[in-house]
Amino acid sequence: MALTLPQNLNDLLERTLDRQVRLAVTGLSQAGKTAFLTSLVNQLRHAGLDARLDLLTPVREGRILGAQRINQPDLSIPRFPYDEGIAALSSAPPRWPEATRGISELRLSIRYRSRTRSRHLLGEQAQLTLDLIDYPGEWLLDLPLLKLDYLQWCERMAELMTERRKHYAAPFLDAVAVLDPTMDADEQQLAELAARYAGSLHKARNEGGYTYVQPGRFLLPGELAGAPVLQFFPLPDLGDADRERFAALPAQSIYKTLEARFEHYKRTVVGPFYRDYFRRFDRQIVLVDVLSALNAGPDVFGDLRLALSTLMQSFDYGRRSLVNRLFNPRIDRLAIAATKADHVTPEQHPRLLSLVEALLAEPIKDLRYADVPVRAFSLAAIRATEARTVAGNADQQQPVLKGTTQDGEDVLLFPGDVPEQLPDADFWQRQGFTFTSFRPAPFTASSALPHIRMDAALDWLLGDKLR
Amino acid sequence: MNDPRPGQRFSLDETHDEFPKQNIEITPELRFSPAAASQPLIDAPPPEVDSALDRALAHPRKRRWGLLTLLGGSLTLGAVQAVETFREAWLGSDWLAGAWSVLGFFAVGLAGAMLGRELFKLRRLRRHARLREAVEDQDGDTFALLDQLRKQMGLSDDDPHWQAFLKAHQQHHDDGETRTLFAHHVLAPRDARARQMITRMSGETAIMVAISPLTLLDMALMAWRNLRLVDRIAALYGLELGYASRLALFRAVLTNMAFAGASEIATEASMDLLSMNLAGKLSTRAGQGLGSGLLTARLGLRTLKMLRPLPFSESEAPRIGDLRRQLWQQLKQVDKDQPS
Ligand SMILES: Nc1nc2c(ncn2[C@@H]2O[C@H](COP(=O)(O)OP(=O)(O)O)[C@@H](O)[C@H]2O)c(=O)[nH]1
Ligand SMILES: [Mg+2]
Repeated sequence: MALTLPQNLNDLLERTLDRQVRLAVTGLSQAGKTAFLTSLVNQLRHAGLDARLDLLTPVREGRILGAQRINQPDLSIPRFPYDEGIAALSSAPPRWPEATRGISELRLSIRYRSRTRSRHLLGEQAQLTLDLIDYPGEWLLDLPLLKLDYLQWCERMAELMTERRKHYAAPFLDAVAVLDPTMDADEQQLAELAARYAGSLHKARNEGGYTYVQPGRFLLPGELAGAPVLQFFPLPDLGDADRERFAALPAQSIYKTLEARFEHYKRTVVGPFYRDYFRRFDRQIVLVDVLSALNAGPDVFGDLRLALSTLMQSFDYGRRSLVNRLFNPRIDRLAIAATKADHVTPEQHPRLLSLVEALLAEPIKDLRYADVPVRAFSLAAIRATEARTVAGNADQQQPVLKGTTQDGEDVLLFPGDVPEQLPDADFWQRQGFTFTSFRPAPFTASSALPHIRMDAALDWLLGDKLR
Repeated sequence: MNDPRPGQRFSLDETHDEFPKQNIEITPELRFSPAAASQPLIDAPPPEVDSALDRALAHPRKRRWGLLTLLGGSLTLGAVQAVETFREAWLGSDWLAGAWSVLGFFAVGLAGAMLGRELFKLRRLRRHARLREAVEDQDGDTFALLDQLRKQMGLSDDDPHWQAFLKAHQQHHDDGETRTLFAHHVLAPRDARARQMITRMSGETAIMVAISPLTLLDMALMAWRNLRLVDRIAALYGLELGYASRLALFRAVLTNMAFAGASEIATEASMDLLSMNLAGKLSTRAGQGLGSGLLTARLGLRTLKMLRPLPFSESEAPRIGDLRRQLWQQLKQVDKDQPS
């Protein structure tokens, strides 16, 4: 594996002194990455003042002096739109930050006093640089493509085609069924089919709630819209047996053209994305929107599980030493977070936690094997509801959530029990849980955002660097 | 707990109902009118802890029935005797005997009250130990247990430390998080005071022993200082000790020290030897002082660890190493001031 050199001498020095951390905020689209980053900056800027961060040890000990956004190393990448996010949240009525359409970077400098042996002496002032990036979650699922060739990818996509999903892809499937991959390629026809394929991905994502949609740029092409590199699609009903047969085809055949475009996509789009942004992390937080998936049914839930375990194979995990901290950083500590935990009542948090652990059971096993510490959290980056109780039946207090839905309706509801294990057929039949989208609570731009357990997650991810 | 049930086979054509849908109770969504009266969610009121656990302190508890019967019996008989004498004196108009019997009755009452107080304090110590165990084992609602602990520590509802804890505590915090916050807001200030006290008192002991002229006096000094230290640490965590409970605690601390992990003892002893080596540079008296000081410090730390309502986490636990250097420096000072 090639070495990744730190970008300049200053970074090298900072990394030698272990004063720089790159935190990977990983999550599929709609998982809550942008909300998490906005809240993170907000909390750290208000740390020690009005932010409630009692579980973040250095804050509890009164050692954090504050945090500031500083100039990021790569000036050609847009800055993370923090101010815009805060503006949206503090507008009337409050709105969630805009969905992310491109990559942005953020560098935060955290000032703190180091811990001293004696309680009376003030420690030396120290500084930690935290590097973060935000990106569209759709693009993240391209990373696993790097390990596949075209034929393997086609097989993978065919496996994903459940009955329900076929329904969204019908126009594409009908058209591709009559295609003969050995024929010579017709540009017009390929463009038409690729458009149908992209349409089916859009539908699966937006109407069906599926997360495992590849390739990600088809959903959010950015500057690549209309370029031939995006005009490919998986062929159905291929198997290993076809490999030799197709290998002998001429270069202008449909199969070979699609294969070439696929490889080109990997080389020019996914490769640089991975190399520039995903190779140098020290810490990682994986954000998972379990609750929406739970609401969407068994098909989507299984799909999410598959997407996450495939995704997590794209990162380097392992214990660190000084040498690989400098030249080949690896993720040496990891948090797994069930986001939007303000959608459930407080007594459901333990269940949510064990559910997300069950969902990620496979990757967690691999991490244990690599001896990388993992912890699961249930968190809400920006808390939109308030927990209350109403008098239930039989003298029992029924916990409920109070909030405002996206349509502006005030509600008081109990969303249903979260299953503790991966839900079985019985659960889906009775469909206990209902996910209601809430509007953020009214907020003034100069205050700290309300949250659930951001402090505990930050303590796990950064606490040892702030000693 | 039930015994684990053995495996059991059923024949397939045995009449069976639908698969029993027990234990997975799933509540569906419930909607209430937003205008419905709702109260802020508060943590449940603390239930009375009456755990059957009776593992008081470090060793299994055994009642001294014999001793109790003896004491209780003599007190009762004494009282009866006094009343009887008084009656006879009254009838016989023997004023002197009557006065004596009143005095005797008073003495018996006093002794009884003392015995009662001792028993009460012993019970409080045991209750503290039980509560401590319950919190440690997460036996029940953590918040309720901590509230109970607050009451036992004699903190009022509006004690600033407790209020700070309440302010930091949120509904969604789990047991571990709640305990971390409690330890930080309520216990940490007391831990710091306890630590200061141990440092100060072990230093004083060291110096007193170093300058005392008699070995017998040394021993008396040690006993007095150590008991006093245990007393004060207990008071910090809201425990008032009587004679019996003090002795019980002292004994538990000593047993605990004796049974501390062998490795710990080994490292501590070697470190002590090292400092004794350093002590070679001190006079004999100062060296003895250092030894006594270290013993007091060790005893103090052990008491602290035993009495603190929540066990120390790895990083917070006070260590003897920090105290050792301070002691040595203090004693060097004594040597300089008092050339032998
Ligand atoms: N109630 C609640 N909703 C959230 C929270 N975080 C995200 N959301 C919802 O999830 C949506 C997507 O969040 P976003 O941060 O844009 O996800 P991203 O695609 O991963 O960047 C938002 O528009 C919110 O509706 C949270 O902490 N609480
Ligand atoms: Mg986003």
